[in-house]
Amino acid sequence: MTDERFDSSVTTTCGYCGVGCRLEAHVRDGKIVSISPALDGPANEGHTCLKGRFAHQFSRSRDRLTAPLIRESGGFRLATWEEATARIVSELTRIKETHGPDAIAGLASSRATNEDCYAMSRLMRATIGTNNIDNCSRVCHSPTSFAMRRSLGLSGATGSFSDIDAADAAIIIGANPTEGHPVVGARIKQATLRGLKLVTIDPRRIELADYGVLHLSPRPGTNAAVMLGLCHVAARDGLIDRAFIDEQTEGYEELTELLESYAPDAVSEITGVPAADVETAAHIYGEAQNASIIWGLGVTEHKYGSEVVQLICNLALMSGKLCRAGSALLPLRGQNNVQGSSDMGALPDTYTDYRRVDDEDVARSFEAAWGVPLSRTPGYKVPEMFDAAVAGDLKAMWIFGEDVAQTDPNTTHVIKALENLEFLVCQDIFETETTKYADVILPASAFLEKSGTFINAERRFQLVEPALDPPGSAKTDFEILTSMSRALGHDMGWETPSDTMDEIARLTPAYSGASHKRIGRTGLQWPVTADGPDSPTLYTDGFSLPGGRGRFAALPYKAPGDSADAEFPLILITGRRLQHYNSGTMTRRTGNVELVDREWLEIHPDDAARLWVQSGDVVSVRSRYGRIECEARITDRIEAGHVFTAFHFPEVRTNLLIGPSVDVNTACPEYKVTAVDVRPVSEEAARTPALAGQPSHT
Amino acid sequence: MEVTVDGRAVEVEPETTILSAIRAAGANVPTLCFDERQAPFGACRVCLVGVEGARAPLPACTTPCRDGMVIDTQDETSRRVATAIVELVLSELPVAPEPHTELATIARSLDVGTPRWPGVTHTVDHDTRHPYLAFQHELCISCGRCVRACDEIQGAFALTATGRGFAANISAGLDKGFRDSACVSCGACADTCPTDAITEMTLLPL
Repeated sequence: MTDERFDSSVTTTCGYCGVGCRLEAHVRDGKIVSISPALDGPANEGHTCLKGRFAHQFSRSRDRLTAPLIRESGGFRLATWEEATARIVSELTRIKETHGPDAIAGLASSRATNEDCYAMSRLMRATIGTNNIDNCSRVCHSPTSFAMRRSLGLSGATGSFSDIDAADAAIIIGANPTEGHPVVGARIKQATLRGLKLVTIDPRRIELADYGVLHLSPRPGTNAAVMLGLCHVAARDGLIDRAFIDEQTEGYEELTELLESYAPDAVSEITGVPAADVETAAHIYGEAQNASIIWGLGVTEHKYGSEVVQLICNLALMSGKLCRAGSALLPLRGQNNVQGSSDMGALPDTYTDYRRVDDEDVARSFEAAWGVPLSRTPGYKVPEMFDAAVAGDLKAMWIFGEDVAQTDPNTTHVIKALENLEFLVCQDIFETETTKYADVILPASAFLEKSGTFINAERRFQLVEPALDPPGSAKTDFEILTSMSRALGHDMGWETPSDTMDEIARLTPAYSGASHKRIGRTGLQWPVTADGPDSPTLYTDGFSLPGGRGRFAALPYKAPGDSADAEFPLILITGRRLQHYNSGTMTRRTGNVELVDREWLEIHPDDAARLWVQSGDVVSVRSRYGRIECEARITDRIEAGHVFTAFHFPEVRTNLLIGPSVDVNTACPEYKVTAVDVRPVSEEAARTPALAGQPSHT
Repeated sequence: MEVTVDGRAVEVEPETTILSAIRAAGANVPTLCFDERQAPFGACRVCLVGVEGARAPLPACTTPCRDGMVIDTQDETSRRVATAIVELVLSELPVAPEPHTELATIARSLDVGTPRWPGVTHTVDHDTRHPYLAFQHELCISCGRCVRACDEIQGAFALTATGRGFAANISAGLDKGFRDSACVSCGACADTCPTDAITEMTLLPL
């Protein structure tokens, strides 16, 4: 239907979280004036949240970067694209000649399209000649990807969000969907109102806990013990699918030996969860005809996050609750394209579809396509890049669409690394904490200004179409990366992002059926072969592992990287809030600031009373690594001994508090367990001012 | 089972509503309180159709099909009643709804011009306290779509129907407004509203 109120309308895919809502973006006078949900969006079915629908004003915020900036005599000056290109070419060439290609590293962005991420990885691998390429999924769901590949074979949800509607029971662990993934949160809520038996497992009593039948509050960092306890009860009480275990899995005997030590009483000791609740939760999941498990960063961002995901897979495997509607494993991917950025090979050790850089056949196929020799040595992961920069081994970085100085842990160390670089290129839509350390800042484009594809948390390729042009002389990321590569001597040979997708499909059997044309309005869930259908449900013909068998993992519980002591008696958990998104770069430039304008620390009434803290007081939060101040709010949704805050506001640099502890397999930071000391201070709470002189409805 | 819509036979599953059968047959009947994202409500009676053997017109959105049912979307009584309903609804509004709204679209399709019944209209009452969502209470026709969107799609239960008869309207958080209610600002209410009684601040007429 054409609407006389708008100059133009396009259907695109939301650039906020990993749900992948399809949106209709309506433009008037060169600005987005309204966004409505696409009725045929498979993930959102005509719904969206306040971020996707309303938080679009950032796209024409007056502080968007509209021209390249170059560092000169201590400050930045406006520059032409020619000057910026010349500076980048001369510096990267100099560093590569002096220190070799491995002294240069790049970060692709899980906010960007598949085509952008693939171009970024080709820029590092082919143009520069190094495998030092990673993306921000490192700091969120890399443990999920690693563990699911180990246990089941493929790096993605085993089913789709529609499995929530088909399930009789579900477990949500370490996720708060009504805030972090609101459209899926609403879907889960509706399912509970229709009778879905929901078990929530989280140190905080999340909103969905009020709609579930049981809530478990384990101590932060003890998820492994909870999962082992559930598996123990399932095995002990015969809530298992013996035929499935025999025919489709391996390693069950080893697991059962380990499970002996995880009786509910022992689990209760470690986790603080009453033994009876462990029993009940196991029975709710085990006795359901179909049940799904949903998790988020509360599982992954731990020292043993990847192991916990393997333990989650154990429970699904022993119960045979996989490979059919209603029985799925659904990791809620954090960002719009956190699935795709890794699928596209923006990782230091793998090309597209997680094929290793030291796999000779794969490397040769890319060498043939790109016409250059490629390194077989895996590159640095994100935290290793910062370590190498501090050590002086890494000299230059190209950071695309990521504010590492606000979102990465151990911020002091990150800043030291950025300061230590000889040359830093930032490609972003705004100046950020990170761009302060840049030598060249390239003005890039927001999701509303580009074309390409995202892959959502259901493994679904979905089209992204531009509603607006980039502002000023800002360019699309596709244009920036391809033209910079050309200037550096390697022509990628693509006219449009559609050409890039065709190359990806040609070089990647699992995505060989993906093309912009076929993706169309309703998307394609990988794997998708050239002429075959896509795959809403995985593993219907066996697991993608040798022999088609899923692998049990006998991994014991181990203590987290940090623990409370006399000096730091409380445990800090971090996460997201409904109204804002990650570093807040976008949402803080919208009317969402009128709804929430500051960070706060959630604290239990007992702790607050002991510390003489009242709601609204400013408190100091100090960890072994740093200190912040923010407002305190008393709530009994958190357990005594724990505190919670988010990281959306640069006024409160939450990640200064987070230490260097990382996941043992994937180097994903342990954001979720930090010992802190909290005490009142007499200060005004820091807040983001509402959009000055910019009424929210213009 | 099989039903006939305007002389054309269609195969439908049991439990299919007459409205779904009509759409499956490629025919159409106007609806006002219906939104495919919500459970059928059957409040407005704009989707009335004739059914062979029935004593009176039946609402298409809530009536399940029966095998062999013969449905007439052009039934004269049904169209006359539906047209009168839309005219009565319009007669309560102080201004005609904006051309893009569903109510205006239906009025055009039924050829309802300026209502023939002058009289009391709703008092203009705007609430623009929320950064994104605005109430224009005078345009509310009490179809209940916003309340159901809030309950059945988002699950926030922030909106409720208030008042009776001519004073019937909608309210967020017992009249405290969206901001101080349980509203999570998802906008599902504005998206479904057929008259812009709830709309986006950016789309308010200047």
